[in-house]
Amino acid sequence: MKINTILVCCFLSLVMISCQKSVSPNTATGTVKITIRNTVKGNPMVLNTGNYTNSFGEQYNITKFKYYLSNVSVTTTPINTFNGRYYLIDQSNPASLSFSFEAPVDTYYSLKFLIGVDSARNVSGAQTGALDPLNDMFWTWNSGYIMAKMEGNSPQSPVVNNKVEYHIGGFAGTNSVLKNYGFIITDPAGINIREGKISEIFMDADFDTWWQGVFNLKIADNPVVTTPGVLAKSISDNYVSMFSITDIKNY
Amino acid sequence: MKTRVIIFFGLLVLIAAIYISACKKNDVQPGEPHNPTYIDLTIPAGWPTPTSDIFANNKLTEEGFQLGKKLFYDGKLSKDGNFPCASCHQQFAAFATFDHDFSHGFDNSFTTRNAPGLFNLAWMTKMHWDGGINHIEVQPLAPITAQNEMAENIDNVLNKLRADTEYPALFKSAFGNTDINSQRMLKALAQFMGSIISSNSKYDKVQRGEASFTATEQNGYNFFKANCETCHKEPLFTDNSFRNTGLAINPFLNDFGRMRITNDKNDSLKFKVPSLRNVMLTFPYAHDGRFYSIGAAIDHYRTGIITTQPTLDPLLVNRIAITNTQKNDLIYFLNTLTDTTMTKAARFAQ
Repeated sequence: MKINTILVCCFLSLVMISCQKSVSPNTATGTVKITIRNTVKGNPMVLNTGNYTNSFGEQYNITKFKYYLSNVSVTTTPINTFNGRYYLIDQSNPASLSFSFEAPVDTYYSLKFLIGVDSARNVSGAQTGALDPLNDMFWTWNSGYIMAKMEGNSPQSPVVNNKVEYHIGGFAGTNSVLKNYGFIITDPAGINIREGKISEIFMDADFDTWWQGVFNLKIADNPVVTTPGVLAKSISDNYVSMFSITDIKNY
Repeated sequence: MKTRVIIFFGLLVLIAAIYISACKKNDVQPGEPHNPTYIDLTIPAGWPTPTSDIFANNKLTEEGFQLGKKLFYDGKLSKDGNFPCASCHQQFAAFATFDHDFSHGFDNSFTTRNAPGLFNLAWMTKMHWDGGINHIEVQPLAPITAQNEMAENIDNVLNKLRADTEYPALFKSAFGNTDINSQRMLKALAQFMGSIISSNSKYDKVQRGEASFTATEQNGYNFFKANCETCHKEPLFTDNSFRNTGLAINPFLNDFGRMRITNDKNDSLKFKVPSLRNVMLTFPYAHDGRFYSIGAAIDHYRTGIITTQPTLDPLLVNRIAITNTQKNDLIYFLNTLTDTTMTKAARFAQ
């Protein structure tokens, strides 16, 4: 009978392990809510009618602005609340500007995410939800996601209808535009997640960063970038500094 | 005692099974049993294991296959209803476009490349002449949305399918409920296309000891093995690589092939090595269909290769010496690669 008892325990624990999720159901959790405000030079981005000027004196407006965030997590040793969801942030869709996920109760001092869609998901066939090709962020001629997209117009653009189009993608090799992004939170209060409560992180994403930083992106020279390659990579080197945390509210 | 132990463990296994099935993710709405007929892709004897399991996340079922077939033959996937997938991929032409260098698309347009035959796709690592498509499931997005092909957008296609009297039930039998979305449509198409296997040509029968080559065919096969085999590797008759075979650039198309995808100048003018299976049905040849006969395609290798192109395949820098007799033998051998079992299979027909 003793052996039976041991076997039963082994059996049940195996069954339990096979059912385990990334966050154990026994752990108390709270909610992390991330709210993003897309801006241009610190001011809220206004699609279509906002008139902007980049650091090279070129005027432009923005008709589309959207990008993917994935692998979002808050971390503290030893917890990494890996979150396998994909978020398409779209300035024209207010509902997309905030999203939430569960995390174990703890105080976290780091927020991490990937700008774009991880490479594995670019080679895994038809996807749905945020990754549905209906979202107009998937290249049909060169399989892979457009990780970030801006469209607009500029009098300095020499192409048809003065169009400006940056479709930034490419997930493989030296020209991968995938960027891991991490914030260290210095405020001692950190992201303090309490059971059943919400911690809200407010971030700004400033489009003005796309124009300079590592690479000088001038509309007159490069009004359209719609393929993976060196140019797309250079623009991603700029936009990796797009984000800043403006506030954390622990409820 | 023994019986008690057996009953005891039997119960345990049952509990475990319930537990495990309870934590499985399931698309199916509760209370609706979904019991599709699972089928296996039969790998022909002696063939390599497919490099990627295209059905790993798309379990092949009879219901999924049948839905995919209906979609493949349905004009609803195109803007004006005239261009189902099958308009350019005709079964009797090994699912290429018979006797067309370019295929016809919406509003009297031409495609810009020769439509390839569709078979043995489970072994194909990348689709398109330039390899731009990395998974069979996302392949249909290209022709459906291309303005010179089916010219439709995916949203419209899905709405047409949702409004149809038959599709909701077919999606339900394939996927468990009547939801129609792009992922399901693409997975069903992949089930149909990925199931088309060509493995019953005379060549295959000879390999299996069920037939024998004539002397001429055997001479052609010997020549093939000595001169063509590296790129057109048996049994698939392609090594899935991208190579420049020294074709003059077509000034209308300015198609630089693989370089468009990789942005690497070393890939300039490289195109995918096509399978030679069913080659007698898939004329004209080359990525732009410039060779109207198999003889003309062979002549390119003996006299036509432009040897000054920097990215020319190293195997072709001296062209290939082919006598008229050898050319004739080779054509006889290539004729043995035609698989009428596939081209006439009712299972793949509309």
